[in-house]
Amino acid sequence: MANKSVTKTAGTNKSFIDRMGGQKFIVLLIVIAMFIFFCAMSPQFRKYTTVVSILDYSYYIALMAIGVAFPLMTGGVDLSIGTGLICYSLIGGYLVVHQGWPTGAGMVVSILLGVAFGVINGCLVALMDLPPFLATLCTCMITRGFGSLIVGGFGIPWPTAAAPGGWFRSIFKIKMGGQNIPIGFLWIIILVIIMTFVLNHTKMGRYTLAIGSNKEATRLSGVNVKFYHIMAYVICGFFTGLAAIAYSAIFATVQPGSGAGFELDAIGGAIIGGVSMTGGVGSITGTLAGVFVICLLKTGLPFIGLTANWQQIITGIVLIISVLIDILKREKEAK
Amino acid sequence: MGEVILTMKGIDKSFPGVHALDHVDLEVRKGEVHALMGENGAGKSTLMKVLTGIYKKDSGTITYEGKEVEFHNTREAQDAGVVIVHQELNMLGHLTVAQNIFIGREFKKGIRIDDKKMNEEAKKLFERMHIDIDPTETMSRLTVGKQQMCEIAKAISHEAKVIIFDEPSAALTEAEIEELFKIIRDLRAQGLGIVYISHRMDEIKVITDRVTVMRDGTYVGTLITKDSTKDDIINMMVGRVIYEDPKTKNMTPPGAPVVLKVEHLNAGKMVQDVSFELHKGEILGFSGLMGAGRTETARALFGADPVDSGDIYVNGQKVTIRNPQDAVKCGIGYLSEDRKRYGIVVQKSVAENTTMADLDEFSNGPFIDKKKEKEIAQKYVESLATKTPSVDQLVVNLSGGNQQKVVIAKWLTRNCDILIFDEPTRGIDVGAKNEIYKLMNQLASEGKAIIMISSEMTEILRMSDRIVVMCEGKKTGELDISEATQENIMNMATREIN
Amino acid sequence: MESIKQNPLVKKVGFNRIVLCIVLILLYGLFCALTGGSFVGISRILSALNYAYFLGFLSLGVTFVIATGGIDFSIGPVMFCCALIAGFSLVNHGVSMPLALIISLVVGLAFGVFNGYLVAYWNVPSFITSMASMNISKGLASVFTQTQSVNWPQASAEGGWYRNMVRMGDIPVGLIILLAVAVVCAIILNKTKMGRYILSLGSNKEAVRLSGVNVKKWEMSAYVVCGLLVGIAAIFYVAAYTTVQPGYGDQYNNEAIAGCVMGGTSMAGGLASISGTIIGVLIISLLQEGILALSLDKNLQLVITGIIVIVAVFADVVSRRRKN
Repeated sequence: MANKSVTKTAGTNKSFIDRMGGQKFIVLLIVIAMFIFFCAMSPQFRKYTTVVSILDYSYYIALMAIGVAFPLMTGGVDLSIGTGLICYSLIGGYLVVHQGWPTGAGMVVSILLGVAFGVINGCLVALMDLPPFLATLCTCMITRGFGSLIVGGFGIPWPTAAAPGGWFRSIFKIKMGGQNIPIGFLWIIILVIIMTFVLNHTKMGRYTLAIGSNKEATRLSGVNVKFYHIMAYVICGFFTGLAAIAYSAIFATVQPGSGAGFELDAIGGAIIGGVSMTGGVGSITGTLAGVFVICLLKTGLPFIGLTANWQQIITGIVLIISVLIDILKREKEAK
Repeated sequence: MGEVILTMKGIDKSFPGVHALDHVDLEVRKGEVHALMGENGAGKSTLMKVLTGIYKKDSGTITYEGKEVEFHNTREAQDAGVVIVHQELNMLGHLTVAQNIFIGREFKKGIRIDDKKMNEEAKKLFERMHIDIDPTETMSRLTVGKQQMCEIAKAISHEAKVIIFDEPSAALTEAEIEELFKIIRDLRAQGLGIVYISHRMDEIKVITDRVTVMRDGTYVGTLITKDSTKDDIINMMVGRVIYEDPKTKNMTPPGAPVVLKVEHLNAGKMVQDVSFELHKGEILGFSGLMGAGRTETARALFGADPVDSGDIYVNGQKVTIRNPQDAVKCGIGYLSEDRKRYGIVVQKSVAENTTMADLDEFSNGPFIDKKKEKEIAQKYVESLATKTPSVDQLVVNLSGGNQQKVVIAKWLTRNCDILIFDEPTRGIDVGAKNEIYKLMNQLASEGKAIIMISSEMTEILRMSDRIVVMCEGKKTGELDISEATQENIMNMATREIN
Repeated sequence: MESIKQNPLVKKVGFNRIVLCIVLILLYGLFCALTGGSFVGISRILSALNYAYFLGFLSLGVTFVIATGGIDFSIGPVMFCCALIAGFSLVNHGVSMPLALIISLVVGLAFGVFNGYLVAYWNVPSFITSMASMNISKGLASVFTQTQSVNWPQASAEGGWYRNMVRMGDIPVGLIILLAVAVVCAIILNKTKMGRYILSLGSNKEAVRLSGVNVKKWEMSAYVVCGLLVGIAAIFYVAAYTTVQPGYGDQYNNEAIAGCVMGGTSMAGGLASISGTIIGVLIISLLQEGILALSLDKNLQLVITGIIVIVAVFADVVSRRRKN
């Protein structure tokens, strides 16, 4: 009885938007509004193939964003995910294409490399106390150089869908009756559900948020802060490995030296989706919605006559705006 | 009151240069609320830190439940059932109430954290405490009072047998304090031993059974609360210390003009409707206990924190102070209680710190005139007798007293006529203290107006011409030095608020 | 070891800088040995210096930002943006050479103002503004040039005089200019109000604010100086290499930061050494040239500078931890 009255009062205190999930809900509305806007502006945009290509574009960004949400929620950041993705994809692909490894083994190598660099980043930040942006800026350069060194500077074409070993491309897209079915989206949804569970219902997620909220208080509560801090970066590395596979599966070739700037899309998506820059707050579903804001911008702008280069400028501005909103929100809360 | 659960006997603890605890005793029984009282710096917190394993004692014994114990960290103490509810809250603002209470020892169901069970357990705890908090609410959305209740719930959930409350009521409203007392009485009835640290005399009378008083790191005595009066306790707290040449009369020249007038200053919760006047050549002491709002008043006046309302007049002119730049332009200088954080730039030299507030005066266009800078720094090193090998020495290498002199030099260089000394001798040894006092007197006689915030009664009585007393963010009294005594100041500082 | 550090001469020059000089000489010796003598000639040194010029200006710029306790890793792409916009105006819009050089400086300044304003007045973390301006600069350059690379005029062509800023015959004019600018930077940092406030607020911002100093203005000024130096770096990049391509420039961020932190500038702010930065930049440039001379993969440079930064910053973290 007492409990009922408590939840009732708490419920009425919250606004409609809060009850629908707060920022997540607003971002979802923005995504829908943007989609409608682009549809209205361009008949080309209204095609099924456009929807498929938006989804194609979204997979690797979404995977990176889910991963990077964890370091962000600890109050850190991982800038190495963009070049890391290319590095893992290059090396995995190199083993498949030039060393004759089975495709599956190449994919496992991509993931393992991601995990390994996650461990390195985690140790640099949690054990050696380096500033996260600086430590990961260094691993960003290292992964970029490392990937190119291994493959010798040439682009790596993972097997095409028709070629032997090309089965992995159908993980994300299968052809059925002449139509491409973007089943990759299904995997993304499943991963979002799993990671939402991890974030909200396991120690890993709980301590990630606790570290971002107040690291010292968490340590004094007897939590092995260093371990969980490292693990946040390992999760990020693991998902970057998955993103590498998604990237290999969607694009024909992987070019060494590319990848810089991908991290901005992912981090921008996470922050738009309500992950706080200062840590302690975040949601995976919000992150996914944020990623679609970025993806729609990237794929939609050319349809209204802006060249692809405008995307970079606009994502930069969107990032600044979303961080400013985060800062203003916190200032308001402090009052 | 039941049997003895905790005995601390002959506890001794020294830090470099300070004898913080000198053979202190404390005894807590089951089912009692035991107040621990004393002025700021009397050693209450140090004693509790020794108990909970944050500090290691030099000598003495701690007997808990009949066995001699020594906890090495708070976790060990917690596991044994000795829990401290801190004054500053150790909370994770983004997590829910239940998640906070069980952080580090979550209930689990497989790999899944059993939030449902945690919420239920938290609810049971709150029911036991007869309070109404939703365990699923986000911590930062609660009022400070409710957050405090959650800390207490966390303490109880450790199966605590002894709970230490370190000034729990400092940030609470009347209603919340009532609720807190209800909980404490319940805990007492359940047979827990409770140590209650507070400055509020009225609370001590209402809630506690016995009072142990400490002074300057020593044990003074233990009283039965209901058999003693407020004056008894105050007398024990202030003791019969012989003061070095206390001021007996106001030294301000008669008819000295008012240089600073503050009217109805409001800034947050800690500064409520504060008004006072400061005369040329006067030392105005600000007395009060920790958390009385004195530093907050100074910071608001100086523009370091935002002001909600109020008028400030400097030399009769109404001024607007929005930030420290404005304050400095009005000739106000602020010497913070926390020199290392707010006073000096430790990695810079004496000369560089000396000119920090007035670099324009020592520059030709964009260039700094280092010769002139060194001259002025040298001048103040000599006139303030700062002990430093040279003005190029990094401030980090100076002692506390000499660092303070560098900060004084900074404001003198800027020609500030109104100086706010916030705890001017904190962390400074006795010899250097006297020098700082001499300096302040000299500055006042030269016509500077000084506000001195101090938690040391001796300092207040020795230095001030007039005394403003604050309590809980409000000004509770103003005294001329000729009528001030420790007792009447302490009375104002601990005044019951109705 | 301690006795060496206490030696008055060593103290005056700085232990760290002496070590760096020794590393520089050893590295040179190593490359001479490995390449069997082909490294000894003046041409290799001049080529290494070409790299040192633009990197030196970048590194000097970022030294100011790091001294405030911030970071700027948009400097590489912004430098390219300056060079591309100025070069495109020169080649395709018929802007005169002096004006093109000024455009380069203005673009650099604009990014400095943008970063500085957001960091100082809006409290946006400096690495976020870096990330944003990195992308904005790349996008802007690509939009402006329609994703075409730009070829600045050759020395013999009209307006080719700008290349003399790098080298006149065998005289490394660029080195003279770089050192002159470094001296100016050292003067700004050590002899002016601006430098004093930048270093002080990097060390303890709150104490400086409570001294009545307009900390926001001075914090922003560090980013503006950095922007201007990036504009200069762009000029020296094209004067040395003439060709710029849109979409690149990130790798120079890390090299510039490496030069800076190796030279003894602390990531925590408040401590900066211009001479150290210059020696650090020379080491990085020599390394780059050596890798080229040994026909090693240039990506090795990325890995090595990454590791150098980690080691240098970790050393700084450890030394600060010991002091506390």
